[in-house]
Formats: sequence, structure tokens, C-alpha cells
Amino acid sequence: MNRQEILLGNGAIALGLVESGCQVVASYPGTPSSEILPEVVRFVKSEGLNTYVEWSTNEKVALDIAFSASITGKRAACCMKQVGLNVAADSLMSAAYLGTVGGLVIIACDDPGPHSSQTEQDTRFMARLAKVPVLDPSNPQEAREMVGLAMDISEEFRIPVILRPAIRVCHARQNISFGSIKQNNLKASFEKNPLRWAATPRFRLVLHRELNNKLKEIGDRFEKLTKFNFHNLEPGKSYPLGIIAGGVPYAVIHDILSEESRTDIPVLKISAPYPFPEGLAAEFMTACDRVLVIEETDTVIEYMLRNKEKVLGRLSGHVPPEGELVPYVIYDLVNKTLGELKLEQLNKKTDDQAKELVETLELPVRRPTLCPGCPHRASFFAIRKARPKAIFTSDIGCYTLGLNLGAVDTCLDMGAAITMAAGFYHSFAQDEIQQPIVATIGDSTFFHSGTAGLLNTVYNGARFILVILDNLTTAMTGMQPTPALGIRADGSEGTAITLERIVAGCGVDFIEVVDPYDIKKMTSVIKKATAFMSGPEGGVAVIIARHPCVIAYPEEAIPEKKKVKITDDCTECNFCLERFECPALFHDPELGHTNINREICVDCGLCIEICPKGAIVDA
Amino acid sequence: MNIANIVLCGLGGQGILFMTRVLAMAAMDKGLNVMGAETHGMAQRGGSVISHLRLGEVRGSLVQTGTAHLLLALEENEGYRNIPFLAKNGKMFVNTNSLHFPRQEVRAFLDKREILYRAVSAGAIALKLGAPRSPNLALLGFFSALNEEPLSHAELRQTVDKISPKKFKGINLKVFEAGYDKGKAG
Repeated sequence: MNRQEILLGNGAIALGLVESGCQVVASYPGTPSSEILPEVVRFVKSEGLNTYVEWSTNEKVALDIAFSASITGKRAACCMKQVGLNVAADSLMSAAYLGTVGGLVIIACDDPGPHSSQTEQDTRFMARLAKVPVLDPSNPQEAREMVGLAMDISEEFRIPVILRPAIRVCHARQNISFGSIKQNNLKASFEKNPLRWAATPRFRLVLHRELNNKLKEIGDRFEKLTKFNFHNLEPGKSYPLGIIAGGVPYAVIHDILSEESRTDIPVLKISAPYPFPEGLAAEFMTACDRVLVIEETDTVIEYMLRNKEKVLGRLSGHVPPEGELVPYVIYDLVNKTLGELKLEQLNKKTDDQAKELVETLELPVRRPTLCPGCPHRASFFAIRKARPKAIFTSDIGCYTLGLNLGAVDTCLDMGAAITMAAGFYHSFAQDEIQQPIVATIGDSTFFHSGTAGLLNTVYNGARFILVILDNLTTAMTGMQPTPALGIRADGSEGTAITLERIVAGCGVDFIEVVDPYDIKKMTSVIKKATAFMSGPEGGVAVIIARHPCVIAYPEEAIPEKKKVKITDDCTECNFCLERFECPALFHDPELGHTNINREICVDCGLCIEICPKGAIVDA
Repeated sequence: MNIANIVLCGLGGQGILFMTRVLAMAAMDKGLNVMGAETHGMAQRGGSVISHLRLGEVRGSLVQTGTAHLLLALEENEGYRNIPFLAKNGKMFVNTNSLHFPRQEVRAFLDKREILYRAVSAGAIALKLGAPRSPNLALLGFFSALNEEPLSHAELRQTVDKISPKKFKGINLKVFEAGYDKGKAG
């Protein structure tokens, strides 16, 4: 038997990449895409390949790196989350016109739900906008196969191809059999052709025409792509209802219909939705009186179907327009549609009684919180203490959870802590109001897109305090290294670039590094920064709050363990629960005051400093 | 066996992914097809975490409500929250220190659906053995006392042994066995 492993969908994608002879892979971490590159690294090491891998500073950089590799003739890929493709959109739109030489696969992972993203945007639309083909896998095994297909199509038609696995593919697990993996030894060569690779607008028109012709040919191919675009109509038969689905919803509907033995409902699977297989869809539509379209997260297939009178979906109100299409949602909407059409309904196994029961239990809502011992908690506590009336602009990472502590008021997109702080500053300054503003941004987010905003801040004279929460890792997405560490994606040594150097390079005159575990010191540094910022020669003040992440570096993060206990001086004022919100602190009704959950306390001792009654002590 | 649907739940940081891995590997080693879905990202920071595991010929990774044969909960309230996944005649194993598990209104519902429920202080077992972060293994051991196909005690133990990092192998097996003893006794 072949070697078998239970791989994460992202692992299956990584396997697909090395199997397809991909020689360059660049990525910026973001849920649900983060594990692809580490899995590529794992296979590169276990199979002794010489694939070049990198954590790029952002997604646009990653796409540019992969694009360049492709036009040297190599097979290349870049991986990111869906909103990362927004950052790389400039590159994507242009790359579609220029075309490729070696295969170029852009893997952009969608997050219906959303579980860990700002939006539920549908990358298939991004593919349409850019005019590049897109593949939409239903599970890990299919995602792996699609990587190879995407490489082949990209190389044959000289066009970038997007693979868009949704979170239920990325973070699904499946047993996968390994095939053979061979090193690709193709050498880089670049044939100069400035009319293409540096095309001016006049030639862009020519390239656009070329792109349209490619899409037409690929469209014909997708009509016959029977592995991923197919239906199960019986010849000559007509049906009252058919279902059209792609990606993850296809897997769900397949399981439901097969479990219920509903062979009377035909299904058209469209997992290569753009360029749209029009002929195949028309054939299916002809055989069905009505079709129900189930896709995530938007209306890509639904818009493309011609005969709208037959179509049931989001536009007709049959499919919820937002939120993840989990099995019970699909089950219910199919059942409802069957009822509406007076067709035999599904053999309903579930009822609403269990859900109603859960509602009556009034279970506590478990919102995500910063970990016990997290240095961000100390930073936020000090910030609120020192600048209670400030507007707190923040950013994307674990520290967005500072909103639980009342220390995060805004979160727009990567880098917006800085740009929004500047925008607030100018808006209030225009009215001659000195509005205190404290921006917080993580180290990795700062490297990703902080510098442009900081340069702009200095150049245009905005005044606020910027706290860079430096925990020496990209924590939220699974502890990837940042440029400051000088560790590269494959574990080899790179050049470390310090935050201090970059901040100074942006023209900032106030830079202080402080360990937030010393809450008093941190508070006094914020006050010092406030004085600088408000002074006649003042400007933006940058504080680098540096303390290792308690998950990535458990030993270094807590050098001196303190076994705290809570004395009877506790008056249950709940200050610690509300303003500090350490998950290890809880109200204990049996004890009659606040208590410590030993199962999760990490003995950081930070709470000793914050109790107004002095009731938390080092035991 | 046709298809087995399993739901594992708890709070971020309790080790649900490891528990899922043990069950999945044990099943794969028996030649079963495995499909699962995990929670990553922000919810891992102490929020509600749920993991789906399906054994057999399936395409989708998520368990449909009303179809789970087994629910393993590392926290009592999270266990309650996920009751809608349980099928009639399903089984529920919960880590809790409460002497009043399950809550009265829940008990009536579970009995009506003929759902088997068992509680264990998995956290206390792990803490006592000096492994406060391993209630997952205690609960898994407790469940293994059920010793039902396709996941027998011996197979699960063997998988824990196989996939635990060297440094934690000894303590992991100890906690697993302590949970098992509790399960056998109760």
C-alpha cells in the first residue's frame, strides 16, 4: 500500500504543489491559508527537493515573487487568504494581461462564516474581475488534484490560475495516499520582451485581446472538464428540480442526497466556474424545470445562468445571502424548496427541539480572549490607564481582541491602525480639537503594511502614539517568523531587520522600547510619549512594547513564575474580570469571591499589579 | 459499519485537535477513510472550538445536526451547546467537575432520545498527575473504556503512544490510562 497520511487540506494542497514540480512558493500567513507553506517546507525536507520557499512581507510581494519565477519558465505559486488577494490585486490584474511562461497558481483561501476574516468575499468574483480561470475544490483530495490541473492550464495557456479552497477544504482533514514526487530541475531563463513584460497602454489593448481569446479556449476546455464539471442526468429524462453546486456545498449536497438515496434529484457540479461552462449548464437547465443553485459565498454561478425564470438561489431568497452553508442550512433549504415545489421532502432526521433546548439553557457566550500571560493584555491595560480618553485604533492579529478590554475602537484592514490614527488626527485638528489617539499594531502587521502609513504620518504631520505590540512572532496565524527574527520559512538564517531601524528610517523622532510586563514602566513611557507628542516640536511617538508571545516562547515569556492567590481582601469589584479579562480569573460562587483556574493559569503574576484592593498576591 | 460521525468540542487551548488526531489516526490505521474539520485562527484563543470527524465514505467534512454517534466535550457548557449534533441513541462523554451533570432539563431530553451520557473530572485527573494541560487525554482514556468498534481501547492507546512527542509520551499514556481506569470503574 502507498504511504498514507491524514493531511490538512492545506497539506494536501502543499503535496499537490510539490507533485506538480512547483519550484518557487511564496506566502504571507493568514487564516485559513497559513499551513500551506509550512507543509511545503515539510515535503521539501522529507523529499530532499530544492524548491525555493519564502514568507514574504505581504501578499503583493508574494505574488510578484511567484510571477517573476513563472516568467523565468519555472512553475511557481503564492498562497494567501482571500483578503490577502485584495492586497495583491494590483499585481493580479496586471499579471492576467502579461501572461505567464511557467505555470503560475495563485491560491487564495476563502472564509465563509466568516470564522477568522474581515469579509466573506468570494474569490471566484476576483477571478472574474481579473479575467483568470478559477478552480473551486470540494475537499482536500480534490484540492490536491486541482493544483496539478491549475499548473497545467496555466502553462498551456500562459495565464495565471486561481485555486480558491474555502476554509472547509483548508482546515478539513483527509487520509491522502502519496504518489511519486520528483525534483524539477528546470533552469531559469528570461527572454527579454519589453513589449509584453513592460507593456505600455497601447500594447495592453493587444494583451487584453489575447487574454480574451485565451479565456474563450479555456471555456471550451471547462465544458469538457468531466472530472470537476459534470452532471448525472439520464439521457432523455426530464426532472422537476435539479441542483447546481460547486466547491464545499457540492460535497455537502452529495452526502445528503446519497444518504437519502435521492437519485431523482440530478446534480450539476461546477468546480471550474470561470470561464463558465455555458453549454454544460444549458444542457442541465434544459432537462430541469427548476434549478436550485447552492454555492459559497456569493452568486457567481447564479449570475451566469441564462434562463433566470428557472433559477432558485440567493436572488430568489431560497439560499441565505450571508453566512456559511453548513450541512443543516443546506438540508433545511433543500427541504423547504422541495416542499414549495410540492415534491417529496427529505427524510427529516433532525428537528428543532435540540436547538430550542440549547437556547433555553442560556449558555455563556465564549468569545475569544487573549491567552493567560499574553503580553498584549499588559500593554492594553497600561494604554487605557495612561490615556483613558483616547480613540484606540488597532489592527489585524491576536491583539484585535483588545476590544474585550475596551482598548480597541477600530479595525479596518492591515496597517489601518496607523493610517486611521492619522485620519482621525487630521479630522479633529481641522476643528482645533486635540483628540488623544493611541494606535496599536502587531509586529508582523507592521512589516506587512505599516511603513507606508507611518511615512505618511510623519510627512503630513499627524500626531498620535503608535504602540507596536512586538511579541516576536506572527501569533494569530500559527507562529510564523517575522523579518525581525532573521529566520526564514525553511528555518535557515536570514537577515534580521529590527523594528527600531525601520521606525527611525520613517523619520520618527520618538522611539522607546519597553517590556509591557512592567506595567508601571509601560504606563510611564506612554506618559513620556504623550508629552513629546504634544510638545511644540512634537510628532508621532512610537513605543515598541516588546515581550515574547506566551505560546511561541513559554519559557522566555515567563522567566519568573509567580503562584498567585486571591486573599479575602477581594471585594468582588470585578475590576480584574472586566478590565484585565484573564481567562484564568473567574467568579467562584462557592468561594464567594474571584478565584484562579489552575488548569490554565501560567503563573505570569501580571494580575498582582492590577488589583485595586491588593487582594491578588504572590503566594 | 457504514459512516461514523464524531463531534469533539471544548475551549481553545484544551487540546481538541490532538484528541481528534488520535481518533483519526486510529481509524486510518484500520483502513477506514477519514474526513474531518478543525477550528483554527482566532477562535483558538479561548473561544468555543469544535472539531468534526467522519469515518467512512463521505465527501463533506462537517457533521450534520442530528447525526453524530459520539460527542466528546472537554467542557460542560460546550457539551450542551453541541447537543443538536447528537443522533438518537448517540453517546456523550463530558469533562466536568460538577456533581449535577447533566442539568435537569438536559437529562430529560437525553433520556427521551436514548442518548448515553457519562461525565468525568478529566481536568482533575490530569492536574493530579501533574499535567494540567492534558484533560484531553484523560477524557479520551475515559471514552476508550467503552471499547467499541471501530475505536477500541487498545487501538487508541497504541495511537497515543505512536503520535505523542517523545518528551510527553510517558505522561500522556499515564493520563490516558488514568482516564481509562475511571471509565472502567464507573
